[in-house]
Amino acid sequence: MNVIELDGLQVQLGGRVVLDGLTGELRGKAVGLLGPNGAGKSTLINTLLGFHMPTRGSAKVFGRDTRSERALIRQSVGYMPENDSFIGNMTGVRFVRYMAELAGLPAAEALERAHEALFYVGLGEVRYRKISTYSLGMKQLIKLAQALAHGPRLLILDEPTNGLDPMARQRMIQTLQEIRKEGSIHLLISSHLLRDIDQTCDEVLILKDGRVAALCNIEEERRSHRNFIELEAVGPTEKFCETLRGIGCECASFAGGRIKLVMPDRIESRDLYVVASQTGLQIRRIHRRRDSLEDIFMRAMEAEPARGELVRL
Amino acid sequence: MSVYKHEYRAYTGPLTPLWARVGVIVRYAFAEAWSTRITATLFTLSVAPVIVYLVGIYLANNQLARTLIMRGSPMLTIDAGYFLKVLETQSWLALVLAAWIAPRLVSFDLADNALPILLSHPISRFGYVLGKLLALFACLSLVTWIPCLLLFAFQGYSSAQPWVMANLRIAGGVLASSLLWIAFLSILGLALSSWVKWRVVATGIIFAVVFVPAGIGGIITGILRTKWGFLLNAPVMMTQLWQRILGAPPTMQGDLYLPSTAIVTVLLLVCAACVLMLNARIRAREVVRG
Amino acid sequence: MNPMNDRILFENVSKFYGEVLGVNRVSLSIAPGVSTIVGPNGSGKTTLMNLMTGLVQPSSGRVSVLGLTPADADRFFRQVGYCTQFDSFPRRLTGMDFLMDALLLHGMSESEAFRLAREAMERVRLSDDAAGRRIEGYSKGMRQKIRLAQAIAHHPHVLVLDEPLNGLDPMARAESLALFQELSRQGMHLIISSHILDEVDRISDRVILITGGYIVAEGDIHQVRREVRDKPLQVLIRCDQPERLASRMFTDNHCVEARLHPDGRGVFLRTGDIDEFYRLLNAIAVEGLVQIEAVAPADDDTRAIYQYLIGSDGSPS
Repeated sequence: MNVIELDGLQVQLGGRVVLDGLTGELRGKAVGLLGPNGAGKSTLINTLLGFHMPTRGSAKVFGRDTRSERALIRQSVGYMPENDSFIGNMTGVRFVRYMAELAGLPAAEALERAHEALFYVGLGEVRYRKISTYSLGMKQLIKLAQALAHGPRLLILDEPTNGLDPMARQRMIQTLQEIRKEGSIHLLISSHLLRDIDQTCDEVLILKDGRVAALCNIEEERRSHRNFIELEAVGPTEKFCETLRGIGCECASFAGGRIKLVMPDRIESRDLYVVASQTGLQIRRIHRRRDSLEDIFMRAMEAEPARGELVRL
Repeated sequence: MSVYKHEYRAYTGPLTPLWARVGVIVRYAFAEAWSTRITATLFTLSVAPVIVYLVGIYLANNQLARTLIMRGSPMLTIDAGYFLKVLETQSWLALVLAAWIAPRLVSFDLADNALPILLSHPISRFGYVLGKLLALFACLSLVTWIPCLLLFAFQGYSSAQPWVMANLRIAGGVLASSLLWIAFLSILGLALSSWVKWRVVATGIIFAVVFVPAGIGGIITGILRTKWGFLLNAPVMMTQLWQRILGAPPTMQGDLYLPSTAIVTVLLLVCAACVLMLNARIRAREVVRG
Repeated sequence: MNPMNDRILFENVSKFYGEVLGVNRVSLSIAPGVSTIVGPNGSGKTTLMNLMTGLVQPSSGRVSVLGLTPADADRFFRQVGYCTQFDSFPRRLTGMDFLMDALLLHGMSESEAFRLAREAMERVRLSDDAAGRRIEGYSKGMRQKIRLAQAIAHHPHVLVLDEPLNGLDPMARAESLALFQELSRQGMHLIISSHILDEVDRISDRVILITGGYIVAEGDIHQVRREVRDKPLQVLIRCDQPERLASRMFTDNHCVEARLHPDGRGVFLRTGDIDEFYRLLNAIAVEGLVQIEAVAPADDDTRAIYQYLIGSDGSPS
């Protein structure tokens, strides 16, 4: 079943058309939502949550229409907003419990699940303190805990690593990867950090100017484009390149000992090393370039998105 | 021995029905309102006058006690006028309580932008506001019609002659007037609290909104020599309305009589304005135009 | 011009807020180019930046930027531009107003201020109609850009940027990074604080690691790595027979530790002697003993240094 189905979705805000004819089916375990500022990512998320009504077309979450079955959708969705969003006066436990009860859990279960969720995200004794005393990282975690407590089927995360220092960011990414592995929850992650999306998502929806610029599966994209290679080396890089060109590779050298080349199929890495030892070059890094998310994103930004059509790269 | 790994697990248990979510809001709002000692203090102070009135009823019905204590003071009749005084006292104390509690219910949610997360759960904006209203309504009921009806019952019990049947209108009147007033206060309190950021300011504004127009109305009445200025004067308006509902004799001059329809219209207009304010402020997302 | 006047100098600087520690006994001499400050939240980064921009005076020690101190306010603040991480603006101000106000404070004429404001907006790629709109209506990314514009508008020589890429989409990030590199090529000092370590690696000339108010490392990242001696360099080699490669490396005695990659198609090798290691690796590859698919130094970057020196709980390890 499709997690999210968009059919000619149009949303207007304050008289302006923000989302224009979005069409697509999102099926992945974890979907990344990308796009420049103002492309409509937040509006799309708000529409899925039922905060905005579509002016035309429809959006469906797990087959339920956002216009008519809002409450049922919100039942099965957990939302972690980008900005600060909490009740400062409450303790962490109470807040998560409150949210779980609002999602329909009976009071006793809500308390149990609240503690489970807090344990899972890594908030220990801190859960008994008022949220207004929390640090930034803790505030992010409490948002995640309340989104998980009621066992949603879809977790919508808006910039989950916002403001986190590198260690906390790594932990957040790991937590998201674990959630994805557990299997019962689909993720929709909106972020500006391509690396975060790369590490957690398998499908990517790129928006531009309120339209779909690209919708593709990252894994499949990576499997093509095999033979671009980047080297870092110490020694006579120019000579190395010349020799390589002689055996049929396209090759270019850059400052700092960096070399980029395209290897035809008949040539293997051993040949590179042979040439290297011939020319006296020491190879210090070999990196096979797969089509990275950055390339997919840049290509999507350059292409002109067709209205109402599903663009596949 | 086994090693237990605690990982995330999905929830497969029962869910409460959708309409019961409003009850969750009510419960938590109520708990929030009563979480501070000031509420308890205000509540106690609000119930104190009831004790005084209770004593009055006792004295009115007890010949011996009256002679001992009041030594021949004029007869104290327990009638619509008496209950009107009770109603007035309790209603204005309800205003104080509302001015304290209403900001507590709303400001904490708005202060740190909790609404996007709150409304991302299966509760609509209407359900959220309804929940808060019910909680506030319940708090205010505890100081208005509940003690008033208890006084009524006490009067009926302690009166020598059969009194209740003949004065049922008073009971109905007290109930209706209270409900009207606290419903109005609840909406007003919530709307004003949602509009202002700081609780103290919200409390002040709730008082101001009730009394400042009264002053302006007095000026209008004085300058323009018209009774319509009193339409801004909440105390006067409510007193007249309650008098009519209870069947108590009017206490103001005849020419300052404000028609009931006018009073009710003003109340409805204010409620409409409050609904608009709530609609603007209780949102998951603000749309900035331009 | 005094050759030391192209540096930002911290001489044994400490800053306390009452009892709370901001930074303790910091000594730095920062040359022109891109310097990145990295550290956990609450480690003293913002304090360091506030000291650099003259917003805060040290409790002890001395701060001088290009030979100037905040005592010489006129010249000092002209040289320094600060883009904070905090996202609040005066109400009802449009973008252009905001820039103009900041520029006029430097004592320029209105026409000059207008010209510089326009130029700054172009540099950060903020459109013209955005200039006329209120900042309240800006998206997060646009607010970031207007703050950046305000910092560069008066052409300072020192640019202090606190998490300048926060809220920017990938293209805007790339553009901003390119802008920073260009500014540093012009001889400016750029002091950037960031949590996104791979971007840090891409553009910085040097890194400053701070935690708990103390500087734990400072310098070119490769240099810093070499000085972390208790952790030998680690390289990931992806090949078809990792065990064979590992055993050969051990035999020739240039390997301290070998660890198979979980997917079985690679091995992490730790070595104390980089040159010998690569020479040997290249020779093994030529022999055709194993098919080498990829070679990647696994910890020669800021992320690894951060892990080694600051650790997962934010305290110095």
